[in-house]
Amino acid sequence: MDSSDINPDRPRGRDDRTGTETQRPHVPAQRGPDSAETGPPTPSPQPETPAKERFWKAGRLEAMPIRPLPQAPPSIHILGPTVFLVALGVGMGESYMWPRLVLVFGPDIRWLFLIGVSLQAVVMLEMSRYAMATGESIFFGAARVFKPLMWFFFITAILVYIWPGHLSAGASAFERVTGIPWQATAVAGMLLVGVVFTLAKVVYNLLENVLSICIGLLVVGTSVVAAMVGNLSDLSSTITGMFAFGYLPGEALSAAWFPVIVGSIAFAGPSGMQQMWYTLHLRDKGAGMGAHIPRIRGLRHAEEQESMPSRGFMFDTSDPEEMSKWKGWRKWVTFDAFVLFWGITMLVTISFTVLAQASARFDPGVAQVIRDGERDAALDAMAASFTAAGSPIFGTVFFCFIALIGLNATLGLFDSFSRGQADMTYFFVPGAKRFSMSKLYGFFLWGLIAFGIAILLFGPADGPAAILDILAFLSTFAMGAYCVVLLLVNNITLPKPIRPGIVSNAIIGFAAVFYLGALFYSLFAYGVVVS
Amino acid sequence: MSTQAPAAGTGLPAVTQYAEVAVPGAVIGLVAGAFAAGVAAIAGLPGVQVATIAAGLGIPLALLGAGYCVLLALGRFGVGAVGPVAVYWVIGFPLARLADEYAVAQVLGNDTVLREPLLSFLAFQAMLSIGFAIGFLWLHERLAPHWLVRIRGHNGVAAGLVQRYLQQVEALDRRRAAAPKRRRRTSS
Repeated sequence: MDSSDINPDRPRGRDDRTGTETQRPHVPAQRGPDSAETGPPTPSPQPETPAKERFWKAGRLEAMPIRPLPQAPPSIHILGPTVFLVALGVGMGESYMWPRLVLVFGPDIRWLFLIGVSLQAVVMLEMSRYAMATGESIFFGAARVFKPLMWFFFITAILVYIWPGHLSAGASAFERVTGIPWQATAVAGMLLVGVVFTLAKVVYNLLENVLSICIGLLVVGTSVVAAMVGNLSDLSSTITGMFAFGYLPGEALSAAWFPVIVGSIAFAGPSGMQQMWYTLHLRDKGAGMGAHIPRIRGLRHAEEQESMPSRGFMFDTSDPEEMSKWKGWRKWVTFDAFVLFWGITMLVTISFTVLAQASARFDPGVAQVIRDGERDAALDAMAASFTAAGSPIFGTVFFCFIALIGLNATLGLFDSFSRGQADMTYFFVPGAKRFSMSKLYGFFLWGLIAFGIAILLFGPADGPAAILDILAFLSTFAMGAYCVVLLLVNNITLPKPIRPGIVSNAIIGFAAVFYLGALFYSLFAYGVVVS
Repeated sequence: MSTQAPAAGTGLPAVTQYAEVAVPGAVIGLVAGAFAAGVAAIAGLPGVQVATIAAGLGIPLALLGAGYCVLLALGRFGVGAVGPVAVYWVIGFPLARLADEYAVAQVLGNDTVLREPLLSFLAFQAMLSIGFAIGFLWLHERLAPHWLVRIRGHNGVAAGLVQRYLQQVEALDRRRAAAPKRRRRTSS
């Protein structure tokens, strides 16, 4: 009943066909959509004739051996790797940025949120396509198309995510409740995360369990509190506002608000590189061909790490049985994207928007403070108005939720960053393979923690002021860039039968144009980077 | 989880067995209801008010949560089924909130129990109950199986429920295995 691994009987040695790791048969160059993607057919497995091994050649990197695709689990399920996306995605965008826009422009502005989250659900589906078909991360896929693309994401991740500023919102909220200075909470939290992930036998299992409980509490808790302070008109205007397509007041197109709105759409759901990291969680979950890849262990158990193959695997797309299993996997991940990710994100944001509307009703001055103020001032104002709504509980509850969201995001972010950097380092930095993937993961995790603590104690938490705009630019630019990468990877490196359809390609293409177009429009028309 | 057959029902009275099975639902309901109360204590509210919030919302939600587990054990709900849980909380959650508002008004001596008309209040609570129901089920499916496995040795009701979880997994496996064969027969 433990759902931590959907393929519990998957080979722990990454590849259950012994001896194939060392074989390097000639792989004929393959390109063009009609070439036989799985090489010459083999009537029956003959281990004594390794030359019969079949491969799928994708890009210029090592070809992927053909392996069986595991059976898909039931499409309707409760938990999965989506828990990471929800944990990372339900952050400041949902709890602060969108409630703020609702207070300034009214609930009808929420149709843009609907667009933003729906785009992310489709991106999630397409990210999963490559990861489940190959067991490789999207970073590996990018390298198969053009290696510098992968290095761009490697450097962007370091530039954007090493600054511990993202901890400040949750830790500051905790300070409001307990009086403990936020820097102390942040340092203690980072050390705790490091120790726990180091001691964990399999990091993924531990994290999925913890995040599942946190998100369950968040959903239950926000529903209860929204039920206590909101009313029917708050809720109905919040919901109907999601369908007010085309509503865009003049002020929304001003230099002051356009970058904020673009940033809020980009931050609706997972932002920055979070979607790319999702492919690594799918692999560790054992989804699709990820079943052939061993999982990352905590540093204390790194010696037990199974040998990591030097590339992923492909299944036989010319076999109807295998394609039937593939359809099962697509159903499984579609449920993940539209019910768990889309649905949970919507539920939490609806609750937060109801809270914000209730706060403005009880204290009309709060809208002005939120419109003008910085994030901390606005959070204070929202909490204060909840207090005015009935009792000091509501303000405290609000801060507790922000602290819980901060905890979720910190856990998810530290793990994801380390996972992504370890993956790229292991496969593409010369000599890195002499360390196991688990050791590289531990190295990046503790590196991030050490740097974060040093910066919290001695430097600017959000990063040097001189490069703040560059970091904000890179974060949004990465989203447009990964849409382009998705189009290239899925349409070039995958066998034709499992490539995305025209609708998926059109939506991802639209997302790329939207993220990059809005980013550059904001930059050139208003001279402001999105915020 | 082992598929070994659990011990049959023991000498425990049936009520005790169902009460044990109901623990996860009751705990989730209690945690949900006591969430506001716990924070109220941190916020420095008077003890009476904290206790009222804890009891007014926590007890009804805990009872309803326990009721869900009992109905699940009786076979009225399917294992992990979302629809029936949503229907259950659409009715239960507004009632729990009504009890909470009434309790707080009584303790604080307020003349008016609700700030809005009863129907609007109930409709609002019913709509938010969907979020609560999903969160409840999410937590229940995470916690309950571990608890049931732990108590099934001396609790026949829990053993039966564990068996149903296992049967559901097996049925899904069989259905998946049969699906491609059916498709082939249809196409030939």
